[in-house]
Amino acid sequence: MITFIKNSIILLLVLILLGLGFIYSGLYPIGADKQHNPLTFWALETLRIKSIARASKDIKVPPLTDPKLLLSGGADYNDMCSGCHLKPGQKESDMTIGLYPKPINLTLSLQEQGHAFDQKNADDLDKIARQQFWIIKHGIMASGMAAFGPTHDDDRIWAMVAFLQKLPELNELQYQILTARQ
Amino acid sequence: MFKKLSITLTGAMLMFTVSAVNAHSPEMHKKENAERPNCQAMANMDHSKMDMNDPIMMAMMQQCMGNGTNNDGHNNGHNNGHNNGHNGEHKDMNNGHGDMHKNSDGHNNMKHTQ
Repeated sequence: MITFIKNSIILLLVLILLGLGFIYSGLYPIGADKQHNPLTFWALETLRIKSIARASKDIKVPPLTDPKLLLSGGADYNDMCSGCHLKPGQKESDMTIGLYPKPINLTLSLQEQGHAFDQKNADDLDKIARQQFWIIKHGIMASGMAAFGPTHDDDRIWAMVAFLQKLPELNELQYQILTARQ
Repeated sequence: MFKKLSITLTGAMLMFTVSAVNAHSPEMHKKENAERPNCQAMANMDHSKMDMNDPIMMAMMQQCMGNGTNNDGHNNGHNNGHNNGHNGEHKDMNNGHGDMHKNSDGHNNMKHTQ
């Protein structure tokens, strides 16, 4: 038994040393024009999905139906988000081509964005709203998604969430009118 | 040494945060990005096909009502058309506004119809 524990500790130390050696070797390709290997991709995606789900689960979603929210949230979206997450009628931008992971096209429907989503289920909509709020407020490490919490209060962030819920339905003219700052 | 470094870093982060909050107020954005809403193009739409209870339409109406230069014709037309059912009046509102489609790229039909 003692031999087994001793061997396990040695194996663990060797693995840690190999891991550190790999990190310090600089061999991992870090350029955004290369893709992660499937294992790293799976690990980071799972980490992101589970972390956001856990961190956002207790957030209370306020009513998001006031049309005024679309004006406040729309203007902020246009200024801060549209470069990466696009506008109606736009298929790509320098940022969507150059960033890795590629930013989600938020002008697409929730299903097209890859959400497991049932339109009749209010809990699904609530969950997506909670997660969008959390992501806008806190950002996502090493993804290009900035945290807007330090510079924008919760009301402005919820207004952006309200706008995001309507964005897939907007045409170019509706978008222009809603997002212009007067 | 570590304490000094921590205080310096915390101070620097605090100063950055305070300056960033000031820099991103809506007023600051207004000066940087003063594009006006294209409310004249909205006035050219067929209002009989619009759902006035749709939040998107309501927000557009609010936006254009707050826009002193472009909204007069639109709002008058809206009230006439929907309160009295004279949809034909909307088309007359656009006479003399030949440039109103400049920014809409021909996308003047609303997706949200009744």
